[in-house]
Amino acid sequence: MEGEETYLELFLARCAAQDDLAPPRSPLLSPIVPYDVYIPNSSNPETTFNSQLEEVTETSGNFSSVDLSFLPDELTQEDKDQTLIRSKHETEENCKTKSWQSGLPLPSQQDVGLALNSSGGSNSHSHLHPGDADSAQPSPEKPLSLPLASITPMTPVTPVSECSGIVPQLQNIVSTVNLACKLDLKKIALHAKNAEYNPKRFAAVIMRIREPRTTALIFSSGKMVCTGAKSEELSRLAARKYARVVQKLGFPARFLDFKIQNMVGSCDVRFPIRLEGLVLTHQQFSSYEPELFPGLIYRMVKPRIVLLIFVSGKVVLTGAKERSEIYEAFENIYPILKGFKKT
Amino acid sequence: MNNTAASPMSTATSSSGRSTGKSVSFAAELQSMMFSLGDSRRPLHETAVLVEDVVHTQLINLLQQAAEVSQLRGARVISAEDLLFLIRKDKKKLRRLLKYMFFRDYKSKIVKGIDEDDLLEDKLSGSNNANKRQKIAQDFLNSIDQTGELLAMFEDDEIDEVKQERMERAERQTRIMDSAQYAEFCESRQLSFSKKASKFRDWLDCSSLEIKPNVVAMEILAYLAYETVAQLVDLALLVRQDMVTKAGDPFSHAISATFIQYHSSAESTAACGGEAHSDAIQPCHIREAVRRYSHKIGPLSPFTSAYRRNGMAFLAC
Repeated sequence: MEGEETYLELFLARCAAQDDLAPPRSPLLSPIVPYDVYIPNSSNPETTFNSQLEEVTETSGNFSSVDLSFLPDELTQEDKDQTLIRSKHETEENCKTKSWQSGLPLPSQQDVGLALNSSGGSNSHSHLHPGDADSAQPSPEKPLSLPLASITPMTPVTPVSECSGIVPQLQNIVSTVNLACKLDLKKIALHAKNAEYNPKRFAAVIMRIREPRTTALIFSSGKMVCTGAKSEELSRLAARKYARVVQKLGFPARFLDFKIQNMVGSCDVRFPIRLEGLVLTHQQFSSYEPELFPGLIYRMVKPRIVLLIFVSGKVVLTGAKERSEIYEAFENIYPILKGFKKT
Repeated sequence: MNNTAASPMSTATSSSGRSTGKSVSFAAELQSMMFSLGDSRRPLHETAVLVEDVVHTQLINLLQQAAEVSQLRGARVISAEDLLFLIRKDKKKLRRLLKYMFFRDYKSKIVKGIDEDDLLEDKLSGSNNANKRQKIAQDFLNSIDQTGELLAMFEDDEIDEVKQERMERAERQTRIMDSAQYAEFCESRQLSFSKKASKFRDWLDCSSLEIKPNVVAMEILAYLAYETVAQLVDLALLVRQDMVTKAGDPFSHAISATFIQYHSSAESTAACGGEAHSDAIQPCHIREAVRRYSHKIGPLSPFTSAYRRNGMAFLAC
């Protein structure tokens, strides 16, 4: 996916330019978001930014073209925030570099992230935690093609030689949302397309949509679980689509407390790994029972992620609530895996 | 091969399978398994056949005892509880079994979270499957535990020495392998009786039993079969190591009489050279290992009635 290349470039740039970094940046500045990155040393920060901004407005515009106006309350408020922040962004663009260098946290930066995430409510802040490299990708259909080669990173990272250059791809996102109204599952199952309901087996309606390709479990209490999306935004979009379906059936559905519960990523280190060595030296974190499961289960403490490491070099990371945790976990494990490379 | 009275095989009451010409044989899989557990690159076929025999006999005996226990409590199937009951005496093995069961639960939980289809299937299956085995084990041990030592095992975090040794051996073995050999090794390691559940069931041949084991019990039996093979390999490697006379060993002149029977003269001269000429475990090693394991050495061993009653010491429990 082209969107992934952006993340790859981000990471490479982050590692490559680390040496340029004099003072360690405060965590608040660390979110490396394409739109928010300030390039004091770059040759043409302004033009890059302008092009970024254009992309931003364009993509945000695209997003609002999906008809969500029926969704009340907290969501329309967010639309207002979006427009407000976009203008703020433009005016503040010039003072960004100064404030960044002085080390002050910029509230607008976070707001921009908010807008670009187009996520309402407090849960969006979770996307902006330190190390969150790409909290803003409003619409995957519009990938960014920006020259990001000269972006200065904001966190002290491992030196170039140890940086993996591999970015895990997200495979599955599980999220929950509260539609905040009692639902008649039978009615939903009867009137909705692609809905299954078998009360004897399971007390929820299973609904599927094709774009984004996801599955939702809708409970009579109004709570809903959405699985199968490949990014946070897609998960949110899908959840909204399900909410709209429910609304169209006549229920007063809202969209409260959208929360990402689990994120699964995977990647390939491209060399075989000697798991016997790994399980011996990292005993307190790893379990390896090849008769039961061909992969080694590594429970990383910080961040709290479970990694499944296979002999072939494939790594699956799960248990993350944020994308940054997956990236961080992979960067932590990569040097360890290199140590057990099977030549 | 030696079939004197000293051999434990001849005292086994149930059929060994060799005479009945069993169609289901795990010999090929066992060869792979033994390689993954520490044997040479190509374990001997005779050794595999012998190991298969030992494992089969022990499992049948175990099943019969489990059936008795099951009948005692009036159940219709042999379940995990009965097997846990039989293992209760040996703390280390019990703990290893518990860890295995927990790992199975944990692994299903994780794999479920990864694939959305698995997640749905699990939800649809209705019952709460998370930590199913752990609950069974915990409930059961709770009911039979008088002194609290069994329940203490759930919190016990001691290092399992046997497992540690196996891990170290595997690490040593794999360190010198190249990429292709290592791939083969990994495949061998993944072999287990639980992977071939239907073949295992046929091989076990529970038709003579009145009470049959249920699903979880079959899982445990597959695990116990694997444990038996692992124990046999561990012990056989020790026996083989013993056979090599080391310089400076004060007891080298005091080898037991039964020991010498299993030695071929060719082997002993080669062994004295310091390096065994054949890397593979020989059937004689296995036999010696089983003999030593069953033979309770100690001042009161002739009078220990419990040992007599079983007739065969279980390697897995």
